[in-house]
Amino acid sequence: MEKTKEKLAPFHVMILIFMTQSGVMAFILPQLLADNFGTNGWASLIGFGLLATLNVALIGLVYKLGKGRSIFVILEQAFPKFLIFPIYVAVASLWTMIGCLAGKEYVMIFQMFAFPTTNPMLFKLVLDVLVFWLLTKGIYNISKAATIFFWLFFWMVFLLFFFYGEFQWARLTPFLFKGGKYEWMKNVDIYSAFLGCELSMLLFSYSNKRTKLIQSTMWANLITTASYVYMAIMLFGIYSLKQLQTKNFPVLDALAYIRFPFVERVENLFYGFFMFSAIFSVLLFVWSAKEMLHQIVPKVRGSAIGFIIMAAAYFIAMIPDILNEVGEWLSILSLIEIGVAFGLPVVLIVVLLIQNNGGKQAYE
Amino acid sequence: MNKRICFLPRGIVPLLLLLLLSGCGDYRILERMGFTSTVGFDLLPKGEMEITASIPRAEAFTPVKREVLSTVSKSSKEAKIKLGRETNLMIVNGQLRDVLFSDQMAEKGLFEHIDSIRRDTSVSPQIKIVIVNGSAKSLLSKDYKQHPMTDRYIDRLLEKEAVGHLVPKTTLYDFERDYYDDGIDPAVPILKEESDHISVDGIGLFKGGRYVLRIPAKDALIYSFLQGNFKQGEMSLELADKGGGHDMVMFTSLISSKKVKVRQQSGQKLNVSIDVQMKGSIYEYTGNLKLSNDSDRHKLEKQVSDHLNARANQMVKRMQDKEADSLGIGMYVRNGMSYKAWKSMDWSESYAKANIKCNVHFKVKDYGSLQ
Repeated sequence: MEKTKEKLAPFHVMILIFMTQSGVMAFILPQLLADNFGTNGWASLIGFGLLATLNVALIGLVYKLGKGRSIFVILEQAFPKFLIFPIYVAVASLWTMIGCLAGKEYVMIFQMFAFPTTNPMLFKLVLDVLVFWLLTKGIYNISKAATIFFWLFFWMVFLLFFFYGEFQWARLTPFLFKGGKYEWMKNVDIYSAFLGCELSMLLFSYSNKRTKLIQSTMWANLITTASYVYMAIMLFGIYSLKQLQTKNFPVLDALAYIRFPFVERVENLFYGFFMFSAIFSVLLFVWSAKEMLHQIVPKVRGSAIGFIIMAAAYFIAMIPDILNEVGEWLSILSLIEIGVAFGLPVVLIVVLLIQNNGGKQAYE
Repeated sequence: MNKRICFLPRGIVPLLLLLLLSGCGDYRILERMGFTSTVGFDLLPKGEMEITASIPRAEAFTPVKREVLSTVSKSSKEAKIKLGRETNLMIVNGQLRDVLFSDQMAEKGLFEHIDSIRRDTSVSPQIKIVIVNGSAKSLLSKDYKQHPMTDRYIDRLLEKEAVGHLVPKTTLYDFERDYYDDGIDPAVPILKEESDHISVDGIGLFKGGRYVLRIPAKDALIYSFLQGNFKQGEMSLELADKGGGHDMVMFTSLISSKKVKVRQQSGQKLNVSIDVQMKGSIYEYTGNLKLSNDSDRHKLEKQVSDHLNARANQMVKRMQDKEADSLGIGMYVRNGMSYKAWKSMDWSESYAKANIKCNVHFKVKDYGSLQ
């Protein structure tokens, strides 16, 4: 952990969490919603957004009960190290895998449009070098970099104006959740678009009261939900339901539709801008894994741990080499991550309640 | 801080560069690419397709402006490989603008072909889908002396006509959207090869993926104002006068908006009314009415409204007979009932039997520089 008096600013936290949440899943989201819920599937996003809010609220409770103490301090006070370290390793591995596979998925989608026969791991390497350089800069600089990258990425929401001409409310239909093929596991995929907010748990020790950590995370979650809802409503209004259900990457298809008087087919360029968001999803998961492993070996330099993590993840990411495989791996990892996102705060709350009660009794 | 930017040893950077440069296998050299601009599909008697591709050539040393290749194949992608054997260029679809299907092929159903086009990520959703009245190959391979290169001629012609609402602007995106929507059917412009030019021959209406009805070019604007709101358009009408002759009237700067109302009482036929409000400026009038006179002008407005009404109702009747709902009436009906009721309804059948009435209200906005 970095020893410095600097603390995170609320705006930076908000942007950082937003950038972590939004990523490659946004491309697939409208199709998943149409497929799983059918007509007006976009409305389900509000439910998923609320679920993520509940997750942040749990983390807020941990923050409050623990009086801002780092989760590692709380856990290590409650459990012996030999018990807690394997859990650290497991969770760190999970985060590393999520990070590196999200990166690989971005690259593989990119290759559907450009450089299809080049080895995807080569692109992944370039992406990873950038992630690694950011990783070595520490969370404060990461959060500041996120703000710049945010503007490079967020303006794309305004591209949706292009579709106002094609948008028709009649296409949304008045029916709610009809004509979909509901599968429980698809909910996990949809919710994975909201994953990332739970990583605010690791920011406790980098925050003080002025950071308004929980409030900022809530705001980030709200922006994520609002932008997803807006995007999904637009896509449900410009595509017919069955058409949306047949599309693998409806958002990319919609980008391909945009035509300027002087140039068209600029979706490749637009897709490039999504990299800024994809990088931060990768980055924050890898950074969290690094933080966790740093607890086990505090004497080793953080950047060295980061290098080892990223190198290991790079080699693991070589195994799934088909887009579908990467998607399947990500689904399973997301399911486990949802467990961690909700389970870890619950465990921490229980520990804190016991600690606080025990403390009181001892005091009495 | 700067020192820490380069955590990687310096020696690694050139190594990384070397590694990255080795990946430059996916390169494209512009001069060696054949950017297909227009593709035509014709149906052959044995069920195979004849596929024609027009590829503009830009090299200074070739006298030809474009290359027209043709092959017989079972699928469009197989054709791409076969066509590739006929040229020194590497054929790519990234700049495809128009896809022409012969009417015979469209009658058999287009969706299978459209589906294979849309799977290709290099194809833009903005490519235009067109039916050719006759042979697509013949229309595409001919050079029309007075006009620009055939590809560009077709593309510009369609764009210009779409602006004036004389043909629908049907892109790949529009076609697949309406195909998949259960409340509307696609509509596509029809082109025809003439001796020295290409002409717009009307609008082809579909039932699902099959072309079933041609709306002649003279009725195209009526189709357009029943289909949706628009601004900009021209129309010339021949109104019968009392003496048995005909008065010519021509409107320009047309603005139109439509509303669809659906009423259904249990056990009764579906009643649909399409109310269209139109405004336009008169550019030409050969009749006896004095346009500056309010009552005379209202008389003309009524004549025009009645005339348009009769033609609109006739057109809708023909569409109902062929069960082609390109106006999207199904969307309005669907949105006015429960999901269960909509799903249990056979829309094609109900549409054919529905009582659909068009009410066109025409208003003269101004009448030019003469009284």
